[in-house]
Amino acid sequence: MSEIPNKNQDKNSRKNVILFALLLSVVCSVLIAVTAGGLRGFQQANMELDRKINILKAAGLIKGKKPSKEKIKELYDTHIKEVLVDGQGKVIEANLPNSLSLYFYQENGSLKGYILPINTRGLWGKIQGYLAFENDGQTVSGFSIFSHSETPGLGGEIESAWFQKNFKGKKILNSQNKFISIGIAKGKSANLPKDKQAHYVDGISGATLTGRYLSEGIEQTLIKYEAVSITFRQKQLRAQKDVPAKSVQ
Amino acid sequence: MSQEKTSYIEIMAKGIWKENPVAYQILGICSALAVTVKMSTSIVMGIALTMVTAFSSLLISSLRKKIPSNIRIIAELAIIASLVIVTDQILKAFFYDISKQLSIFVGLIITNCIVLGRAEAFALANKPLDSFFDGIGNGLGYSLVLMAVAFLRELLGSGKFFGFNIIPQFLFDAGYQNMGLMVLAPGAFFIIGMLVWLKNSLSRLSKEER
Repeated sequence: MSEIPNKNQDKNSRKNVILFALLLSVVCSVLIAVTAGGLRGFQQANMELDRKINILKAAGLIKGKKPSKEKIKELYDTHIKEVLVDGQGKVIEANLPNSLSLYFYQENGSLKGYILPINTRGLWGKIQGYLAFENDGQTVSGFSIFSHSETPGLGGEIESAWFQKNFKGKKILNSQNKFISIGIAKGKSANLPKDKQAHYVDGISGATLTGRYLSEGIEQTLIKYEAVSITFRQKQLRAQKDVPAKSVQ
Repeated sequence: MSQEKTSYIEIMAKGIWKENPVAYQILGICSALAVTVKMSTSIVMGIALTMVTAFSSLLISSLRKKIPSNIRIIAELAIIASLVIVTDQILKAFFYDISKQLSIFVGLIITNCIVLGRAEAFALANKPLDSFFDGIGNGLGYSLVLMAVAFLRELLGSGKFFGFNIIPQFLFDAGYQNMGLMVLAPGAFFIIGMLVWLKNSLSRLSKEER
Protein backbone atom coordinates (compact mmCIF):
# COMPACT_ATOMS: atom_id res chain seq x y z
CA MET A 1 0.00 0.00 0.00
CA SER A 2 3.05 2.24 -0.08
CA GLU A 3 2.44 2.89 -3.78
CA ILE A 4 -0.63 5.01 -3.16
CA PRO A 5 1.07 8.38 -3.74
CA ASN A 6 2.32 7.44 -7.23
CA LYS A 7 -0.75 5.44 -8.12
CA ASN A 8 -1.28 7.58 -11.18
CA GLN A 9 2.10 6.65 -12.55
CA ASP A 10 1.56 3.04 -11.68
CA LYS A 11 -1.70 3.07 -13.64
CA ASN A 12 0.24 4.06 -16.76
CA SER A 13 3.10 1.60 -16.41
CA ARG A 14 3.65 -0.62 -19.43
CA LYS A 15 2.71 -3.73 -17.51
CA ASN A 16 -0.53 -2.20 -16.38
CA VAL A 17 -1.46 -0.92 -19.85
CA ILE A 18 -1.04 -4.34 -21.39
CA LEU A 19 -2.83 -6.04 -18.54
CA PHE A 20 -5.73 -3.61 -18.73
CA ALA A 21 -6.00 -3.91 -22.51
CA LEU A 22 -5.97 -7.72 -22.30
CA LEU A 23 -8.50 -7.82 -19.53
CA LEU A 24 -10.82 -5.36 -21.25
CA SER A 25 -10.70 -7.23 -24.54
CA VAL A 26 -11.39 -10.54 -22.83
CA VAL A 27 -14.33 -9.12 -20.88
CA CYS A 28 -15.77 -7.41 -23.96
CA SER A 29 -15.40 -10.46 -26.19
CA VAL A 30 -16.95 -12.73 -23.60
CA LEU A 31 -19.85 -10.30 -23.20
CA ILE A 32 -20.48 -10.13 -26.93
CA ALA A 33 -20.01 -13.84 -27.49
CA VAL A 34 -22.40 -14.72 -24.68
CA THR A 35 -25.16 -12.36 -25.85
CA ALA A 36 -24.74 -13.29 -29.51
CA GLY A 37 -24.70 -17.00 -28.73
CA GLY A 38 -27.47 -16.84 -26.19
CA LEU A 39 -29.80 -14.83 -28.41
CA ARG A 40 -29.07 -16.65 -31.67
CA GLY A 41 -32.05 -18.94 -31.26
CA PHE A 42 -34.45 -16.02 -30.88
CA GLN A 43 -32.90 -14.15 -33.79
CA GLN A 44 -33.07 -17.11 -36.15
CA ALA A 45 -36.67 -17.75 -35.22
CA ASN A 46 -37.41 -14.08 -35.93
CA MET A 47 -35.67 -14.20 -39.28
CA GLU A 48 -37.37 -17.40 -40.32
CA LEU A 49 -40.74 -15.94 -39.39
CA ASP A 50 -39.93 -12.74 -41.25
CA ARG A 51 -38.94 -14.72 -44.34
CA LYS A 52 -42.26 -16.55 -44.26
CA ILE A 53 -44.16 -13.30 -43.76
CA ASN A 54 -42.48 -11.84 -46.81
CA ILE A 55 -43.20 -14.84 -48.99
CA LEU A 56 -46.82 -14.68 -47.90
CA LYS A 57 -46.89 -10.92 -48.51
CA ALA A 58 -45.51 -11.37 -52.02
CA ALA A 59 -48.19 -13.97 -52.69
CA GLY A 60 -50.81 -11.51 -51.44
CA LEU A 61 -51.86 -13.72 -48.52
CA ILE A 62 -51.07 -11.09 -45.91
CA LYS A 63 -52.52 -7.67 -46.31
CA GLY A 64 -52.25 -4.83 -43.85
CA LYS A 65 -51.77 -5.92 -40.26
CA LYS A 66 -49.41 -8.64 -39.20
CA PRO A 67 -51.19 -11.84 -38.09
CA SER A 68 -50.10 -13.92 -35.13
CA LYS A 69 -47.17 -16.33 -35.28
CA GLU A 70 -49.40 -19.40 -35.39
CA LYS A 71 -51.55 -17.96 -38.15
CA ILE A 72 -48.46 -17.22 -40.25
CA LYS A 73 -47.17 -20.77 -39.84
CA GLU A 74 -50.56 -22.18 -40.73
CA LEU A 75 -50.91 -19.97 -43.82
CA TYR A 76 -47.41 -20.83 -44.93
CA ASP A 77 -47.83 -24.57 -44.49
CA THR A 78 -51.15 -24.73 -46.33
CA HIS A 79 -50.34 -22.45 -49.24
CA ILE A 80 -46.60 -22.36 -49.89
CA LYS A 81 -44.50 -25.23 -51.18
CA GLU A 82 -40.76 -24.89 -51.56
CA VAL A 83 -39.48 -26.59 -54.74
CA LEU A 84 -36.30 -26.92 -56.75
CA VAL A 85 -36.25 -26.67 -60.53
CA ASP A 86 -33.60 -27.38 -63.14
CA GLY A 87 -32.54 -25.06 -65.97
CA GLN A 88 -35.52 -26.14 -68.10
CA GLY A 89 -38.02 -25.21 -65.43
CA LYS A 90 -38.82 -28.80 -64.44
CA VAL A 91 -39.36 -29.64 -60.81
CA ILE A 92 -36.62 -31.89 -59.49
CA GLU A 93 -36.24 -33.75 -56.23
CA ALA A 94 -32.55 -33.72 -55.43
CA ASN A 95 -30.40 -30.64 -55.07
CA LEU A 96 -28.41 -30.64 -58.32
CA PRO A 97 -25.61 -28.12 -58.92
CA ASN A 98 -27.58 -25.79 -61.20
CA SER A 99 -30.92 -26.10 -59.54
CA LEU A 100 -32.92 -23.01 -58.62
CA SER A 101 -35.19 -22.76 -55.64
CA LEU A 102 -38.62 -21.22 -55.82
CA TYR A 103 -41.98 -21.38 -54.10
CA PHE A 104 -45.32 -22.55 -55.43
CA TYR A 105 -48.44 -20.84 -54.20
CA GLN A 106 -51.28 -23.35 -53.92
CA GLU A 107 -54.92 -22.87 -53.16
CA ASN A 108 -57.05 -25.97 -52.57
CA GLY A 109 -54.51 -28.16 -54.35
CA SER A 110 -54.33 -26.12 -57.55
CA LEU A 111 -51.38 -23.96 -58.50
CA LYS A 112 -52.21 -20.27 -58.20
CA GLY A 113 -48.78 -18.86 -58.91
CA TYR A 114 -45.10 -18.97 -58.13
CA ILE A 115 -42.71 -16.88 -56.09
CA LEU A 116 -39.11 -16.16 -57.03
CA PRO A 117 -36.46 -15.20 -54.51
CA ILE A 118 -34.68 -11.97 -55.45
CA ASN A 119 -31.12 -11.71 -54.25
CA THR A 120 -29.16 -8.74 -55.45
CA ARG A 121 -26.74 -6.05 -54.41
CA GLY A 122 -28.04 -2.70 -53.28
CA LEU A 123 -26.26 0.54 -52.61
CA TRP A 124 -24.92 -0.45 -49.17
CA GLY A 125 -25.44 -4.17 -49.02
CA LYS A 126 -27.47 -7.10 -50.19
CA ILE A 127 -31.15 -6.74 -51.00
CA GLN A 128 -33.23 -9.88 -50.55
CA GLY A 129 -36.85 -10.12 -51.46
CA TYR A 130 -39.57 -12.10 -53.20
CA LEU A 131 -41.37 -11.51 -56.47
CA ALA A 132 -44.60 -13.40 -57.00
CA PHE A 133 -46.27 -14.17 -60.33
CA GLU A 134 -49.73 -15.31 -61.24
CA ASN A 135 -50.07 -18.68 -62.91
CA ASP A 136 -50.17 -17.07 -66.37
CA GLY A 137 -46.39 -16.74 -66.12
CA GLN A 138 -46.28 -13.06 -66.95
CA THR A 139 -48.24 -10.95 -64.47
CA VAL A 140 -46.64 -9.89 -61.21
CA SER A 141 -48.94 -10.53 -58.29
CA GLY A 142 -46.78 -9.11 -55.55
CA PHE A 143 -43.39 -8.05 -54.32
CA SER A 144 -41.80 -7.88 -50.91
CA ILE A 145 -38.43 -7.06 -49.42
CA PHE A 146 -37.04 -9.39 -46.80
CA SER A 147 -33.78 -7.73 -45.88
CA HIS A 148 -31.76 -4.75 -47.05
CA SER A 149 -29.38 -2.15 -45.70
CA GLU A 150 -30.35 0.86 -47.79
CA THR A 151 -30.53 4.38 -46.37
CA PRO A 152 -33.66 4.73 -44.22
CA GLY A 153 -36.06 7.21 -45.75
CA LEU A 154 -34.39 7.09 -49.16
CA GLY A 155 -33.42 3.68 -50.54
CA GLY A 156 -35.00 2.15 -47.46
CA GLU A 157 -38.38 3.08 -48.90
CA ILE A 158 -38.18 -0.14 -50.94
CA GLU A 159 -39.67 -1.85 -47.91
CA SER A 160 -42.63 0.51 -47.72
CA ALA A 161 -46.08 -0.66 -48.77
CA TRP A 162 -46.64 1.94 -51.51
CA PHE A 163 -43.50 0.91 -53.35
CA GLN A 164 -44.22 -2.81 -53.13
CA LYS A 165 -47.85 -2.36 -54.17
CA ASN A 166 -46.50 -0.72 -57.31
CA PHE A 167 -45.41 -4.06 -58.71
CA LYS A 168 -48.82 -5.67 -58.72
CA GLY A 169 -50.17 -6.17 -62.23
CA LYS A 170 -46.95 -5.36 -64.07
CA LYS A 171 -46.11 -7.65 -67.00
CA ILE A 172 -42.88 -9.33 -68.07
CA LEU A 173 -44.11 -9.80 -71.65
CA ASN A 174 -44.53 -6.93 -74.10
CA SER A 175 -47.21 -6.67 -76.79
CA GLN A 176 -45.09 -8.86 -79.10
CA ASN A 177 -44.93 -11.56 -76.38
CA LYS A 178 -41.20 -10.93 -75.91
CA PHE A 179 -39.61 -11.05 -72.48
CA ILE A 180 -39.06 -7.65 -70.90
CA SER A 181 -37.97 -7.12 -67.33
CA ILE A 182 -39.63 -5.01 -64.66
CA GLY A 183 -37.70 -1.80 -64.11
CA ILE A 184 -37.85 0.96 -61.57
CA ALA A 185 -38.60 4.29 -63.21
CA LYS A 186 -37.08 7.62 -62.32
CA GLY A 187 -40.10 9.37 -60.92
CA LYS A 188 -43.63 8.20 -61.67
CA SER A 189 -44.16 5.42 -64.19
CA ALA A 190 -47.22 7.31 -65.45
CA ASN A 191 -44.84 9.88 -66.97
CA LEU A 192 -43.25 7.25 -69.21
CA PRO A 193 -44.38 6.45 -72.76
CA LYS A 194 -47.53 4.32 -72.86
CA ASP A 195 -45.81 1.13 -74.06
CA LYS A 196 -43.39 1.23 -71.11
CA GLN A 197 -45.89 1.80 -68.33
CA ALA A 198 -46.75 -1.87 -67.91
CA HIS A 199 -43.12 -2.73 -67.22
CA TYR A 200 -42.05 0.09 -64.91
CA VAL A 201 -42.91 0.86 -61.32
CA ASP A 202 -42.79 4.28 -59.64
CA GLY A 203 -39.31 5.16 -58.48
CA ILE A 204 -38.22 6.58 -55.15
CA SER A 205 -36.90 10.13 -55.16
CA GLY A 206 -33.41 10.32 -53.75
CA ALA A 207 -32.78 6.63 -54.33
CA THR A 208 -31.72 6.42 -57.96
CA LEU A 209 -28.89 3.97 -57.31
CA THR A 210 -30.94 1.63 -55.13
CA GLY A 211 -33.53 1.58 -57.91
CA ARG A 212 -30.93 0.86 -60.55
CA TYR A 213 -29.37 -2.04 -58.62
CA LEU A 214 -32.75 -3.50 -57.77
CA SER A 215 -33.83 -3.26 -61.42
CA GLU A 216 -30.66 -5.07 -62.46
CA GLY A 217 -31.18 -7.73 -59.83
CA ILE A 218 -34.78 -8.30 -60.84
CA GLU A 219 -33.79 -8.57 -64.49
CA GLN A 220 -31.04 -11.12 -63.76
CA THR A 221 -33.38 -13.19 -61.62
CA LEU A 222 -36.12 -13.10 -64.23
CA ILE A 223 -33.71 -14.21 -66.96
CA LYS A 224 -32.52 -17.07 -64.75
CA TYR A 225 -36.07 -18.18 -64.04
CA GLU A 226 -37.46 -17.46 -67.54
CA ALA A 227 -37.72 -21.21 -68.20
CA VAL A 228 -40.10 -21.53 -65.26
CA SER A 229 -42.21 -18.64 -66.51
CA ILE A 230 -42.31 -20.22 -69.98
CA THR A 231 -43.65 -23.49 -68.56
CA PHE A 232 -46.38 -21.56 -66.80
CA ARG A 233 -47.24 -19.64 -69.97
CA GLN A 234 -47.43 -22.88 -71.99
CA LYS A 235 -49.64 -24.45 -69.36
CA GLN A 236 -51.89 -21.41 -69.53
CA LEU A 237 -52.01 -21.56 -73.36
CA ARG A 238 -52.90 -25.24 -73.26
CA ALA A 239 -55.62 -24.55 -70.73
CA GLN A 240 -57.00 -21.78 -72.92
CA LYS A 241 -56.95 -24.06 -75.98
CA ASP A 242 -58.67 -26.79 -74.05
CA VAL A 243 -61.55 -24.63 -73.01
CA PRO A 244 -62.85 -23.63 -76.46
CA ALA A 245 -62.26 -27.16 -77.77
CA LYS A 246 -64.49 -28.52 -75.06
CA SER A 247 -67.19 -25.95 -75.69
CA VAL A 248 -67.27 -26.90 -79.39
CA GLN A 249 -67.84 -30.51 -78.53
CA MET B 1 -30.23 13.70 -0.87
CA SER B 2 -32.50 16.40 -2.27
CA GLN B 3 -29.42 18.42 -3.12
CA GLU B 4 -28.03 15.49 -5.07
CA LYS B 5 -31.29 15.16 -6.91
CA THR B 6 -31.26 18.77 -8.01
CA SER B 7 -27.67 18.41 -9.18
CA TYR B 8 -28.70 15.45 -11.37
CA ILE B 9 -31.50 17.53 -12.82
CA GLU B 10 -29.06 20.37 -13.45
CA ILE B 11 -26.67 18.02 -15.23
CA MET B 12 -29.47 16.72 -17.38
CA ALA B 13 -30.80 20.18 -18.17
CA LYS B 14 -27.32 21.19 -19.30
CA GLY B 15 -27.30 18.36 -21.82
CA ILE B 16 -30.82 18.98 -23.01
CA TRP B 17 -30.70 22.74 -23.47
CA LYS B 18 -27.67 24.76 -22.41
CA GLU B 19 -25.01 22.57 -23.92
CA ASN B 20 -27.18 20.66 -26.33
CA PRO B 21 -24.92 18.18 -28.15
CA VAL B 22 -26.14 19.01 -31.63
CA ALA B 23 -26.95 22.70 -31.32
CA TYR B 24 -24.14 23.78 -28.99
CA GLN B 25 -21.40 21.18 -29.21
CA ILE B 26 -22.12 20.47 -32.92
CA LEU B 27 -21.71 16.72 -32.35
CA GLY B 28 -23.60 13.87 -33.96
CA ILE B 29 -24.46 15.85 -37.07
CA CYS B 30 -23.99 12.93 -39.49
CA SER B 31 -26.65 10.74 -37.93
CA ALA B 32 -28.88 13.79 -37.46
CA LEU B 33 -28.80 14.13 -41.24
CA ALA B 34 -29.39 10.48 -41.95
CA VAL B 35 -32.25 9.35 -39.74
CA THR B 36 -34.37 12.49 -39.70
CA VAL B 37 -36.40 11.92 -42.84
CA LYS B 38 -39.14 10.36 -40.75
CA MET B 39 -40.32 10.90 -37.17
CA SER B 40 -40.55 7.20 -36.30
CA THR B 41 -36.93 6.32 -37.06
CA SER B 42 -35.56 9.41 -35.35
CA ILE B 43 -37.41 8.64 -32.12
CA VAL B 44 -36.11 5.07 -31.91
CA MET B 45 -32.63 6.31 -32.80
CA GLY B 46 -32.87 8.90 -30.02
CA ILE B 47 -33.86 6.27 -27.47
CA ALA B 48 -31.10 3.89 -28.55
CA LEU B 49 -28.47 6.62 -28.40
CA THR B 50 -29.66 7.85 -25.01
CA MET B 51 -29.37 4.33 -23.58
CA VAL B 52 -25.90 3.75 -25.01
CA THR B 53 -24.57 7.13 -23.91
CA ALA B 54 -25.96 6.74 -20.41
CA PHE B 55 -24.57 3.25 -19.83
CA SER B 56 -21.22 3.81 -21.52
CA SER B 57 -20.73 6.96 -19.44
CA LEU B 58 -21.65 5.01 -16.33
CA LEU B 59 -19.21 2.21 -17.11
CA ILE B 60 -16.37 4.44 -18.23
CA SER B 61 -16.79 6.68 -15.23
CA SER B 62 -16.68 3.76 -12.82
CA LEU B 63 -13.52 2.53 -14.53
CA ARG B 64 -11.99 6.00 -14.80
CA LYS B 65 -9.39 5.41 -12.09
CA LYS B 66 -8.33 2.14 -13.71
CA ILE B 67 -8.12 3.12 -17.38
CA PRO B 68 -4.50 3.91 -18.33
CA SER B 69 -4.56 7.39 -19.87
CA ASN B 70 -2.47 6.54 -22.94
CA ILE B 71 -4.90 3.92 -24.18
CA ARG B 72 -8.02 5.55 -22.83
CA ILE B 73 -9.63 6.29 -26.20
CA ILE B 74 -9.20 2.71 -27.34
CA ALA B 75 -10.56 1.45 -24.06
CA GLU B 76 -13.55 3.80 -24.26
CA LEU B 77 -14.26 2.72 -27.82
CA ALA B 78 -14.05 -0.94 -26.86
CA ILE B 79 -16.60 -0.41 -24.11
CA ILE B 80 -18.91 1.65 -26.34
CA ALA B 81 -18.65 -0.78 -29.24
CA SER B 82 -19.42 -3.78 -27.04
CA LEU B 83 -22.44 -2.01 -25.60
CA VAL B 84 -23.73 -1.10 -29.04
CA ILE B 85 -23.29 -4.64 -30.34
CA VAL B 86 -25.09 -6.04 -27.32
CA THR B 87 -27.92 -3.50 -27.82
CA ASP B 88 -28.15 -4.46 -31.46
CA GLN B 89 -28.29 -8.16 -30.62
CA ILE B 90 -31.02 -7.60 -28.04
CA LEU B 91 -33.04 -5.50 -30.48
CA LYS B 92 -32.70 -8.21 -33.12
CA ALA B 93 -33.85 -10.91 -30.72
CA PHE B 94 -36.80 -9.18 -29.07
CA PHE B 95 -37.71 -6.13 -31.17
CA TYR B 96 -37.07 -7.47 -34.63
CA ASP B 97 -39.29 -4.99 -36.46
CA ILE B 98 -37.71 -1.94 -34.86
CA SER B 99 -34.22 -3.26 -35.43
CA LYS B 100 -35.08 -3.79 -39.07
CA GLN B 101 -36.24 -0.21 -39.40
CA LEU B 102 -33.07 1.17 -37.89
CA SER B 103 -30.89 -1.19 -39.94
CA ILE B 104 -27.32 0.09 -39.97
CA PHE B 105 -27.84 3.07 -37.71
CA VAL B 106 -27.72 1.08 -34.49
CA GLY B 107 -24.24 -0.04 -35.46
CA LEU B 108 -23.34 3.51 -36.34
CA ILE B 109 -24.03 4.69 -32.79
CA ILE B 110 -20.43 3.58 -32.16
CA THR B 111 -19.18 6.34 -34.43
CA ASN B 112 -21.55 8.94 -33.02
CA CYS B 113 -19.30 11.63 -31.60
CA ILE B 114 -21.70 12.34 -28.73
CA VAL B 115 -20.98 9.03 -27.02
CA LEU B 116 -17.22 9.36 -27.15
CA GLY B 117 -17.45 13.11 -26.59
CA ARG B 118 -19.34 12.70 -23.31
CA ALA B 119 -17.00 9.91 -22.23
CA GLU B 120 -13.98 12.14 -22.82
CA ALA B 121 -15.42 15.42 -21.60
CA PHE B 122 -17.49 14.27 -18.65
CA ALA B 123 -17.29 10.64 -17.61
CA LEU B 124 -13.51 10.62 -17.18
CA ALA B 125 -13.67 13.42 -14.63
CA ASN B 126 -16.92 12.80 -12.78
CA LYS B 127 -18.68 10.32 -10.54
CA PRO B 128 -20.50 7.36 -12.15
CA LEU B 129 -24.03 8.49 -11.32
CA ASP B 130 -23.37 12.06 -12.46
CA SER B 131 -22.00 10.65 -15.70
CA PHE B 132 -25.04 8.44 -16.11
CA PHE B 133 -27.36 11.44 -15.89
CA ASP B 134 -25.09 13.48 -18.11
CA GLY B 135 -25.43 10.70 -20.70
CA ILE B 136 -29.21 10.72 -20.37
CA GLY B 137 -29.35 14.50 -20.64
CA ASN B 138 -27.20 14.60 -23.73
CA GLY B 139 -29.09 11.72 -25.30
CA LEU B 140 -32.37 13.52 -24.69
CA GLY B 141 -30.96 16.75 -26.08
CA TYR B 142 -29.90 14.87 -29.18
CA SER B 143 -33.31 13.18 -29.48
CA LEU B 144 -35.06 16.53 -29.15
CA VAL B 145 -33.09 18.04 -32.02
CA LEU B 146 -33.61 14.91 -34.12
CA MET B 147 -37.34 15.08 -33.55
CA ALA B 148 -37.53 18.78 -34.36
CA VAL B 149 -35.59 18.26 -37.57
CA ALA B 150 -37.58 15.16 -38.48
CA PHE B 151 -40.86 16.94 -37.81
CA LEU B 152 -40.00 19.72 -40.25
CA ARG B 153 -38.49 17.39 -42.83
CA GLU B 154 -41.37 14.93 -42.82
CA LEU B 155 -43.92 17.73 -42.91
CA LEU B 156 -42.30 19.75 -45.67
CA GLY B 157 -40.72 16.86 -47.57
CA SER B 158 -43.57 14.38 -47.72
CA GLY B 159 -46.52 16.20 -46.12
CA LYS B 160 -46.78 13.63 -43.35
CA PHE B 161 -46.55 13.28 -39.58
CA PHE B 162 -45.63 9.82 -38.27
CA GLY B 163 -46.58 8.46 -41.67
CA PHE B 164 -50.06 10.02 -41.73
CA ASN B 165 -50.91 12.51 -44.43
CA ILE B 166 -51.68 15.86 -42.88
CA ILE B 167 -51.42 18.22 -45.82
CA PRO B 168 -54.98 18.14 -47.19
CA GLN B 169 -55.49 16.98 -50.74
CA PHE B 170 -57.11 20.24 -51.92
CA LEU B 171 -53.82 22.07 -51.30
CA PHE B 172 -52.07 19.63 -53.64
CA ASP B 173 -54.86 20.19 -56.15
CA ALA B 174 -54.34 23.92 -55.81
CA GLY B 175 -50.71 23.51 -56.82
CA TYR B 176 -48.93 22.86 -53.52
CA GLN B 177 -45.92 20.59 -53.87
CA ASN B 178 -43.76 18.67 -51.41
CA MET B 179 -40.25 20.04 -51.07
CA GLY B 180 -38.02 17.37 -52.55
CA LEU B 181 -34.99 19.07 -51.03
CA MET B 182 -36.21 18.26 -47.52
CA VAL B 183 -36.04 14.51 -48.14
CA LEU B 184 -32.38 14.79 -49.10
CA ALA B 185 -29.45 15.51 -46.81
CA PRO B 186 -29.04 19.21 -47.77
CA GLY B 187 -32.53 19.90 -46.41
CA ALA B 188 -31.38 18.64 -43.02
CA PHE B 189 -28.33 20.89 -43.18
CA PHE B 190 -30.51 23.95 -43.67
CA ILE B 191 -32.82 23.00 -40.82
CA ILE B 192 -30.02 22.11 -38.41
CA GLY B 193 -28.24 25.33 -39.28
CA MET B 194 -31.34 27.36 -38.55
CA LEU B 195 -32.00 25.46 -35.32
CA VAL B 196 -28.44 26.14 -34.14
CA TRP B 197 -28.90 29.81 -34.92
CA LEU B 198 -32.27 29.93 -33.18
CA LYS B 199 -31.00 28.12 -30.09
CA ASN B 200 -27.90 30.25 -29.72
CA SER B 201 -29.67 33.53 -30.23
CA LEU B 202 -32.30 32.50 -27.69
CA SER B 203 -29.58 31.61 -25.18
CA ARG B 204 -27.90 34.96 -25.81
CA LEU B 205 -31.17 36.80 -25.28
CA SER B 206 -31.75 35.15 -21.92
CA LYS B 207 -28.18 35.95 -20.90
CA GLU B 208 -28.59 39.61 -21.76
CA GLU B 209 -31.77 39.79 -19.74
CA ARG B 210 -29.88 38.60 -16.74
